[in-house]
Amino acid sequence: MRKLRFLWALCLLPACLSHSFSGETFTEELFIRGLPDGKVASRFEFSTHSHGATPRNPQNLSVEDHSQHYTLFPLALGQILREYAVTELHLTLNAGKWNYDRWGYPDEPDVAAGAALWAWMAEGSAGANPRHSVDARWRDLRNALAGLFCASIASLDEQRTTSPARAFTPFGALPAWPQSGPHAFRHASLPSENVCTENLTPFLKLLPCKSRSGLAHLLNPHRLFDADWHGMGLHVSWRPEDGVQVRLTFQSVFDPLRSGTSRDWSFSSLFDRTVDQACPVAASSLVLVTLPVREPYSIQPEPASNANNRGVFPITEQTVPLDISIHWLNPFQHATIAAQAPLSVRRMLRGAAQSHGTLAVSITNPGSAAVRVVYLETLPWIVHLYLHTLELSVDGIPRADLLEDISYIAPVPHERASTLEAILAIPANSTVSLRVGVGRAFLRYTEHPPDAQRGWELPGAVVVLLDSENKPQKPVGRWVSTNKEAAQRKQAQVLAQAQPRRIYTPALLVDPATPDFSMPYNVIIFTCSLVAFIFGSVFNGLTRRFVVLRASPE
Amino acid sequence: MDRIRALLRPAGDRNLNRLHRRQALVSVFMRHIQLIKITLFCLGYLWMLALPSPRLGRGTYIDENALGPGQVNTRWNWGDVANADRYLEQLEGLRDSNATSEQHAKAIMTEFTKLGIPASTQNYVFTSSTGKLEGTNAYAVLSSPRTSGTEAMVISASRISRVGEGDGTPNLRGVATVLALANFLKRYSLWAKDIVFVVSDNYVDGMQAWLNAYHGEAQSNLQAEELELASGVIWTALNIDYPGHSFSHLGIFHEGINGRLPNQDLLNSFHHISRWTGGVPVLVYDHLESHQSHIPSWIPRSLHQEIRQYNYRSKNVFRHIGYQARGRGSGVHGLFHQFRIDAFTMFGVPANGPHGFHSIGRVVESTLRTTNNLLERLHASFFFYILTTPERFLKIGSFLPSAVLISVAMMFGGLKLWSDSAWIPAATVQLEKEGDGEGSKWIQRSRPVIPVLGMMLSTHILGGILYSVLTTSWFSNNQTVASALLFLPVATLPLCALLVPSQDTRIVAPVSQLLKALNLCFASTVISITTVANFSLAMSLAILLGIPLSISSPSQSLPLRVIKYAAYIGLGLGWIFAGEELRKALWDWEILRVWFAPFVCAVYTPLVLQAGLVCLLPV
Repeated sequence: MRKLRFLWALCLLPACLSHSFSGETFTEELFIRGLPDGKVASRFEFSTHSHGATPRNPQNLSVEDHSQHYTLFPLALGQILREYAVTELHLTLNAGKWNYDRWGYPDEPDVAAGAALWAWMAEGSAGANPRHSVDARWRDLRNALAGLFCASIASLDEQRTTSPARAFTPFGALPAWPQSGPHAFRHASLPSENVCTENLTPFLKLLPCKSRSGLAHLLNPHRLFDADWHGMGLHVSWRPEDGVQVRLTFQSVFDPLRSGTSRDWSFSSLFDRTVDQACPVAASSLVLVTLPVREPYSIQPEPASNANNRGVFPITEQTVPLDISIHWLNPFQHATIAAQAPLSVRRMLRGAAQSHGTLAVSITNPGSAAVRVVYLETLPWIVHLYLHTLELSVDGIPRADLLEDISYIAPVPHERASTLEAILAIPANSTVSLRVGVGRAFLRYTEHPPDAQRGWELPGAVVVLLDSENKPQKPVGRWVSTNKEAAQRKQAQVLAQAQPRRIYTPALLVDPATPDFSMPYNVIIFTCSLVAFIFGSVFNGLTRRFVVLRASPE
Repeated sequence: MDRIRALLRPAGDRNLNRLHRRQALVSVFMRHIQLIKITLFCLGYLWMLALPSPRLGRGTYIDENALGPGQVNTRWNWGDVANADRYLEQLEGLRDSNATSEQHAKAIMTEFTKLGIPASTQNYVFTSSTGKLEGTNAYAVLSSPRTSGTEAMVISASRISRVGEGDGTPNLRGVATVLALANFLKRYSLWAKDIVFVVSDNYVDGMQAWLNAYHGEAQSNLQAEELELASGVIWTALNIDYPGHSFSHLGIFHEGINGRLPNQDLLNSFHHISRWTGGVPVLVYDHLESHQSHIPSWIPRSLHQEIRQYNYRSKNVFRHIGYQARGRGSGVHGLFHQFRIDAFTMFGVPANGPHGFHSIGRVVESTLRTTNNLLERLHASFFFYILTTPERFLKIGSFLPSAVLISVAMMFGGLKLWSDSAWIPAATVQLEKEGDGEGSKWIQRSRPVIPVLGMMLSTHILGGILYSVLTTSWFSNNQTVASALLFLPVATLPLCALLVPSQDTRIVAPVSQLLKALNLCFASTVISITTVANFSLAMSLAILLGIPLSISSPSQSLPLRVIKYAAYIGLGLGWIFAGEELRKALWDWEILRVWFAPFVCAVYTPLVLQAGLVCLLPV
């Protein structure tokens, strides 16, 4: 046994060495908090820094790239980033509807339903190779990520790609290369994407410890995909002082009350697993648990430290196996929950007709201060907005003054999606309702999806809260390699606050006029046609005299 | 052989032969048109009589493979029955304390909230000619795990049962079932669609207000609160009606307002599940098949079974036609169809046993699992059918032609009259040229269409005025007096037609003939168009209009003219004295937007009035 452990240590030696010398760091963190309605939100974050690395300049795409040697940084991802010269990349694969009103603002902000991909890329050298243009690289990037994550990201084609100008801001910095112009932004989303195990497996493969040790061991697909909400994310960004960072996140909302009456939870009840081993290459490995306030509870084991009402559990060889469990002494009572998020947004498609309808959005600001928001709507071309019908009202009173700015990119049928970005002011303690007429396209019969009667899913709208006072947008760097968790967490908080808050609305289902592709329908049509033909002859026979006239010989 | 060849391909110009052949065919057709007409009428009416026959129709089947009904193990158990009993006790307490609508709704909302399901209430007020109608709905939206909330299923129960068309019997056990189901369904993560629970106030008006608010439809006489909670597109809805203590059968009520029907797959799945999972026999509507019906002894015994079946099926068909023709939904589910939601009511037929919460819970759970499987809206044109029994139905092809045949006969009659009115035979004039081969000379005369169309239009306008008076609050407040007051002018105004002078029929076609021709053509068009939209209405029109409109004719003597006219007035306007029925039809129009009342006023009555005018006009 001792021999085996020695061998194991020997195998780990190169990893440990690289961890200290190659300029790459890996940290992992699990954050668990109870939600007001008794559910439990968990967020895994695995981040890998490659210190000193820079994104590839697309001007040099025709020149051979320097060789890629990684120890902790995922090679499969690194190759894609270098090949297509991507500066910043975000991919989220979520399932479910994030209930802002009951669960509050998510720890991982991007909770759009289905698949969403957005990236910043610089323009390649002009006229050199058409494959180096932003659009070509965006297409190739989608295909490469589709292969890597086993997801339908490849179908996020030009019909779904948009470039909204205000709603998204880069998380890191964008390098200013001398020859190439400013970075271009591309965004696409596919709300009907189903996220499941086949996406989690490649996700785990990008981690240095896979799911064998460390926190990733808790990622048990049987439990994660039974949760009320789950989503995984991949975020790549760059900062000049730190290099390239890859952040892999997995967020989920469990419901301990689904089958019982107690909201007690533990690792074994949530994940059906415990942390059995620490990940040896992780520079820091932490579990943070938000502790209840004003309620009697017991927690097992006791947290190592307690900061800001959060229990901190570092994972080391001494603390494993770790199975944190919380027990409440009082039974849980469901009650009406006050809105938890700064804004409450509802979006509905109204109208029973198949050719037109109304998009009705209501944004409620329960706070006592007015806020300014960017409202972003990206719609596939099958739905187009009639902008002249756009109406803003508060309690039924038209308030055109609330609209500060608007930009609209009209759709091109069969080619391009439409983008509507509006800056709205939401007065304090009021509900602004936005209504705009929509038209639904008449599709070619080959354009209908296989389950035609289901309809088309429209991606959710995005509401971005703008800072009322102009805070400096410059966030504090987060990539300083340090083990001082407290300092790091503080930086993370500062950074998260610096990012504008995005609120995603649920997707909508729209059914355009759809023929019934079934046999009875065809039979009815054929029969009606036949009857119409016969009617003509019968009508003539009944209403006209039938006479043969002999034409004169001339 | 040569003879046959000569017959098939006679010598001479081929085109000329073809034309002669056609001419012969048309003239045979024209000569026997009267016979053809009578045959079509007979065929059509006999076909209608044959609709309930067990020899017509076929067994039901599931068309949509995704449904897979009855293929799950149900988990609803006695614990859930106990929950339902507890909810029932609370509801009975509310009933005994004479709680208001609002208190009811708040109590139900509180129960949903206790389960952790977001719930809310909605107040509404309808204003109609009969007064104000207020109420409060309670509803809850259970967001299913991992779904984006784009689709939803509805489970609903109205507070008043459909017993006696909403005569006030409370649907306590239906509401208790909905609450217990909410408690039960939230425990499972297998739902692919959001589940919306609705407890609507009163019988139908509560659901009308809720659905209008959900879909953002404006109704001018409805003030309803906006819904605080919303979900996605609703595809299917189940309405639970369980008024008795126990039930012996589950009845299917499926007719929607304005003659819409839900997709038959939904009903067939429910029937399959109820029969095989719940073990509850299924009925169409709520009447049982009686085995003791009296059959005269002179009928051979071998036919007794068939006659009994015919008897039972004809009851079902009659009820179907009764609901569909009047456009009146047979329950709360009927309101869903206007928003393309397939819905039906499962009605627990009150009895002393043996079924209760345990059976209905299992049936609803399994039916929900079935509709949960749907990847797309139910479609496949499975919307045209008549259920004769729960297991057998008539396809569109086996009932639609009956009404169409009548309509064709009327069209033939109308067109024949139209072409006849242009010509009169002039036997006195000798044949000079080789004409149409009949040996007689025809004189053409003019057909003044404009005055006839004007006459028709004025009857429709009269119908419109009649309708607008009917919807005033003056009419609804003193209905008996108002009916008589309204009947008199409408019935006497067309008597002006007696003043129309007769014209020389050698030059101008008689107005009565033209009016009858156009009247028949118009009525025929109305019937054949209505067949697909609302077969029962078309069939009723075919029965009421077919023969009467075809036999209208002017006559010489004034008393005979007036008597004939009076008969038509009775047929076309007699309904004005059907007090209760009229009141219901008007209520349906004002609150639920059922088109039956305006249709009768503006289409049916004028058509019969036109036939009456034909009798009044000079020869």
